[in-house]
Amino acid sequence: MKLYDQIFNVVKQFRKLFSPGPVTNADVSGSLTAEIFLIVSLVLSAILLRHVNVLLAGIFTLALAIVLIYSIPLIPKFKIEQEDSLEKMLFYAIVTLALIAVFMYWGGNLV
Amino acid sequence: MNELIPLMVIVPLMAALLISAFSKFNTVTKIFAFVVAICLPLIPLLSNYGLHYFGGYEPILDGAANMMYHPAITYSFTFLQQIFIGAIGLLTFLVIFIYLTKYRKVSGPYLFLLFLGTAAVTAMILTDDIFHMFVFFEILALAQVGIVAASSIDYSYEMALKYMVLGSIGSPMMLLGIGFLLALTGSVNVTDIAAAVHNGLVDATSPVFLLSLALIFFGWLYASGLPPFHTIKSGIYSKAEPHGAALLQSFTVISMISIVLIMFRIYASLPIFEVLIVFFSILAMILGVSLALTQTDFRRMIGFLAVGELGFIGLGIGLGTNFSITAGLFQALNEIVITALLFIGFGAIVNATNEVDTRKLGGLLAYHPKVAIMLLIGGLAMAGVPPLSGFQSKLMLVQASLSCGFPEISILAIMVSIATFVVFVKTYYTMFLKPKPNDLELEGKEVPRAMIFAMGVLLIIVILLGIFPDVVTNGISNFVGGIL
Repeated sequence: MKLYDQIFNVVKQFRKLFSPGPVTNADVSGSLTAEIFLIVSLVLSAILLRHVNVLLAGIFTLALAIVLIYSIPLIPKFKIEQEDSLEKMLFYAIVTLALIAVFMYWGGNLV
Repeated sequence: MNELIPLMVIVPLMAALLISAFSKFNTVTKIFAFVVAICLPLIPLLSNYGLHYFGGYEPILDGAANMMYHPAITYSFTFLQQIFIGAIGLLTFLVIFIYLTKYRKVSGPYLFLLFLGTAAVTAMILTDDIFHMFVFFEILALAQVGIVAASSIDYSYEMALKYMVLGSIGSPMMLLGIGFLLALTGSVNVTDIAAAVHNGLVDATSPVFLLSLALIFFGWLYASGLPPFHTIKSGIYSKAEPHGAALLQSFTVISMISIVLIMFRIYASLPIFEVLIVFFSILAMILGVSLALTQTDFRRMIGFLAVGELGFIGLGIGLGTNFSITAGLFQALNEIVITALLFIGFGAIVNATNEVDTRKLGGLLAYHPKVAIMLLIGGLAMAGVPPLSGFQSKLMLVQASLSCGFPEISILAIMVSIATFVVFVKTYYTMFLKPKPNDLELEGKEVPRAMIFAMGVLLIIVILLGIFPDVVTNGISNFVGGIL
């Protein structure tokens, strides 16, 4: 029942996503689909690490799945981080630039 | 030499300048814009394949090193350029046709921006000069900002300004990367740079070369709207006029493939290059579709779906085989057509209802059946339902990733297609099939015929490309064989 309660809480939290308008069945089912899609697709993508190391892929995928399931609801958090705020967009742009540049400069030959 | 090749850029560029200068003559401006818009898809169809050297400076053979050098800015026109310039020309024509029929008094500056953007992307896909590409990339960014700012939608100025601020990070980084390449190779001609890298004249493992990839790659992310720029890209689509958004997304797709093909020719020898492309493409697919599922503004929803579809293009190119790149480029062509169809179709609904919130809409099937049916087919094409064009390109991508040894990516691509289908069915149901809300006024509001005409033309292309994909894929495959 714990997981059921957790999912039920997720549905209740979706209300915040659609405020100030009404929350329809289609909106809730869409958000639940997004939640499940996000978890499954990230876990599936993590399996790609098997091309680096099979053991690493197994451990990372398992850990990621556990972290994601225990962190639901993810979509409200994702949506807050990806709103139209210039500060957040700039933050993620600069972080991405720094990561790519550092990774390429010092680690570009490793892959 | 083929003089029609530079005309593909010069005609829209000159039209932009002339319309801007003489915009106070309304009727003349309308006629002139219409005539130029008709010419745009015709020029690439009439032109022969070949190269054009600006200034007439032909390549020079260095006998000692047995290498060719290209002193001129070179335009290369092949089948790939022909179909993409033809597609953008046709789309520009349709968008300008919609705009001219919508307003009695047209805005010269707005038409200027539409033609300027078309000229810029055409130059980007034709050029073999990386600095020339960058100049038009900057012009394109300004045209995009202008098209968004010129729309009458609330907060469009704000969104345009944000896009410009983010561009002030992305563009200089790309220029810096090009500067590093120039320092390493002494050339900005892509063929010369690629030859220097492949002949071992440049150390491909040097940190400066790798850093140049990082910086140009970051600029490409900005141009393409892949994460972390997916939010702003979907934002500018939603704040532009619907016909403007249709053109904006095609600008994005063409600038994306133009830059990535240049990067591919230079950096393909580095495995990290393909890893980076696949990583960001998968991220775009996941984030784009996840966020589309939670939208209530249907323009924003299509914006996020468009970003997710960009991931498919990147995926094809990132896998790096002839078949996968062909699939990616075919997907790019399909996305231009399908997303334009959806933006124009949903724009027609905005036009008829003045409403963008799906929760306040309903029952539109009875009032606008033509738009409803064409949007349904367009949405199914985007989701990859046979026998439409989106199905063909996505099937090719799934096959390509399977044959490359990445079944996870194939499953992910199918999942994203299913999620896209869910997004579309949910939106379609709430807008067209559920009962009409009592407070929604629909009587007497018609959809402009120009929009229906544009949707019809795009729909025919979607169906034809779905039934006869070989017409395009064979030519693309030959092009890809040349760069691999």
